[in-house]
Amino acid sequence: MELTIVKNATCTFCGCVCDDIELHADGERITHTKAACVLGTSWFKNHTAERLYPDALIDGQPASVEDAIQAAADHLYQADMPLVYGLSNVTCETQREAVALAELIGGVIDSHTSL
Amino acid sequence: MGGKVSCTLGEVKNRADLIIYWGGNPAECHPRHFTKYTLTQKGRYIPNGRKDRTMVLVDIRETPSAKAADIFLQVRPAKDFEVITVLRALIKGHAVDPELAAETGLSMEQLQDLADRMKKARFGVLFFGMGLSMTRGKHMNSAALLTLAAELNAYTKFVAMPMRGHGNVTGGDVIMRWTTGYPFGVSLSRGYPRFNPGEFSTIDLLIRGDCDAALILGADPGATMPQPAIDHLARIPTIVLDPKVTHTSRLARVHFTTAATGISAPGTVYRMDEIPLPLRPALKSPYPTDEEIVHRIYQAVAAKPPLPPAVMLSQATM
Repeated sequence: MELTIVKNATCTFCGCVCDDIELHADGERITHTKAACVLGTSWFKNHTAERLYPDALIDGQPASVEDAIQAAADHLYQADMPLVYGLSNVTCETQREAVALAELIGGVIDSHTSL
Repeated sequence: MGGKVSCTLGEVKNRADLIIYWGGNPAECHPRHFTKYTLTQKGRYIPNGRKDRTMVLVDIRETPSAKAADIFLQVRPAKDFEVITVLRALIKGHAVDPELAAETGLSMEQLQDLADRMKKARFGVLFFGMGLSMTRGKHMNSAALLTLAAELNAYTKFVAMPMRGHGNVTGGDVIMRWTTGYPFGVSLSRGYPRFNPGEFSTIDLLIRGDCDAALILGADPGATMPQPAIDHLARIPTIVLDPKVTHTSRLARVHFTTAATGISAPGTVYRMDEIPLPLRPALKSPYPTDEEIVHRIYQAVAAKPPLPPAVMLSQATM
């Protein structure tokens, strides 16, 4: 499989967010890292592009993304006080969408900062 | 955290001659902090690198980080607030009751020495970890430490910075600040933002059983939270977005597998000093991104009839 090399890749494992990492990838997994620490190396090697899990689960059963979107929307719409929580290991673009969703459903939004 | 006296890690690298880590173990939790940003790098005004800097570690036990420190100060557990208060008094030249100081586990000589070093530093920085902010006193400890850093600016340049753990937890603060005005624990149930840690912080909400649905993304509370909080997540409809099927996914009604941030999903992430950095993913995921899933849930909810009062209020402003 074709080897791709990404220079100055950004590691999101810890708050240092080191942006000088070199990644070697074979299309399915990251095979080699340069400049990353032990935590960063295991982070990069621990996630692959394989299809290891179903796209979505509803009540533990595999489901399509579209059905899961509808189920999620129903739960959040019916709730009186929904909570949106986490936001640590997602991008800022996702966080912005999450705030918009929290406002739409009239919920509470919170992150690891409150722990 | 308003009015925090801080700086970027680049300024620390180029200027800091006194580096204090308080209640954190960077050698194990942020392995490249010393070598990339703080201790060993040569900087513009730190020509000899490590030799030009003094590192102090304040903690309740001797962690592997102590090996890197010039001075290790072992504080008695849950006495951080007292240590900070004594330092603030000594820096201003106030008398301190030696008996009160003795309770901290440090001697008056150690405390006076640290206070002197702080005042004499050209550029000092206090990095504080969860050993300070998550122990007795909690956010009051952080507030005291930030006040200490602010007060030291009457004598020299001094800054403070939290050692943030998870990748983009800093981005969460920043994004919530510019969208709602508050960094975390924000309720939008009345259609406008309200901030009240203790009332709108997740563990408190879950343990009291206040919320009746949960959307979890970029976190695995099922593996980390106290059991009563996990029990409530299992009782209510919980929706999870994660690159893997996690502990939380197993107790959730709905799980989405998503692309992994920074590995197969692009975007922006904030470093602990609030510098935004672009991601350069090396892989293409077969799964959609978190951003796409959240946006599609938003659209699916928006397609339903509006719910009064919060939804109507928010839609009126959009």
